[in-house]
Amino acid sequence: MIVLCALVVASPAAAQTQSRPSLTGVWAPFGAGRGADPAVAPPPAGPVVLKPAYAKDYLAQRAADAEATKRGEPPASAAVACAPYGMPRMMAVASYPVEILETPGQFTIIAEAFSEVRRVFMGQSQLPIDEVPPGYYGHSVGRWDGETLVIDTVGIKESIPGYQNMPHSDQMRITERLRLVTADVLHDQITIDDPIVLEKPVVYTLAYRRMRDYKMVEFVCDNNREYVDEKGRVRMRLGSGGR
Amino acid sequence: MSNSRHALFTLAAILALVPGTTRLIAHHSFAMFDTANPITISGVVTAFEWTNPHVYIEVDVPDGQATKHWAIELGSPSILMRGGWKFSTIKKGDKITAVVSPLRNGEPGSLLNRITLADGRVLGNGGPAGIGPGTPPPASAPAR
Repeated sequence: MIVLCALVVASPAAAQTQSRPSLTGVWAPFGAGRGADPAVAPPPAGPVVLKPAYAKDYLAQRAADAEATKRGEPPASAAVACAPYGMPRMMAVASYPVEILETPGQFTIIAEAFSEVRRVFMGQSQLPIDEVPPGYYGHSVGRWDGETLVIDTVGIKESIPGYQNMPHSDQMRITERLRLVTADVLHDQITIDDPIVLEKPVVYTLAYRRMRDYKMVEFVCDNNREYVDEKGRVRMRLGSGGR
Repeated sequence: MSNSRHALFTLAAILALVPGTTRLIAHHSFAMFDTANPITISGVVTAFEWTNPHVYIEVDVPDGQATKHWAIELGSPSILMRGGWKFSTIKKGDKITAVVSPLRNGEPGSLLNRITLADGRVLGNGGPAGIGPGTPPPASAPAR
């Protein structure tokens, strides 16, 4: 009888679990440029609209960066020094894949570029933002909404450049909705809300294609020849020549 | 560097700033290299560094009676492996010919476009065409 009751109690949950898609695997990001399959390409991103107090400096910096790049003097970024990207930018670095691993009570997401790791705790309530130590990955909790994995992240350090290098406050909240578009295409719709910096939430979608049988490659940044000169430009350090 | 690889990083750097397009980002901009005016260099490899964030080839290139030393930057091991590279593809002492984009500041550093190896094989600077924005990479991209 006890066994029977246990089965009756357990089966709805078990059935629900079985209906959820498995996101475990290695996923390579791809964009929506020329040649993309419109059936699986990510939809256009929404605009970044900052509050007036932040917009002027942001737009001026973007224009200056674009002009410097045009001159062949690309401005420095934290990544030049091999600093990790953090959230949300770590989710799409060039064509480097991310590996998603589901274990009981947790998703672990590993970005190949710079070996960044984030953890998503399932079935837990989100912490108040002021209780999360600011960091690169913050504190993430997840839940299923049907077949969509919804991840809520807070606690990203203000000094970490945001999406499109936009500024953000310690009140930034990142909401992700991950769902399989096909068996081998995953979309991650990202919504960034920041009541202090943003006029309205920024929404964009990352698309990934499954890389079957791919073995993630280690990425330890131990031979970085890029450096930033006294004028803030990226330079290449010439090596010893192996001699 | 293959055109597709160059296009990837260039596009990634540019499109990251354009609303409504892809959000892929790159380690750094490649604007310090003069990609519009590639040159060809031939010489003997003095070092092949299979490292992150970039792989490097060091080459002694004959220059009249003297030798000029060049450093060639490539992508990362991950990206290169998808394009047929291995950590042992090049060895010290190999004779190679490379088409490279030189540094704009005139120093003997460069970015690889494509290389002809000692055994005649030609490799680019990354995965096969199709890795860039707009075209998903192949579903299976094993290291070779």
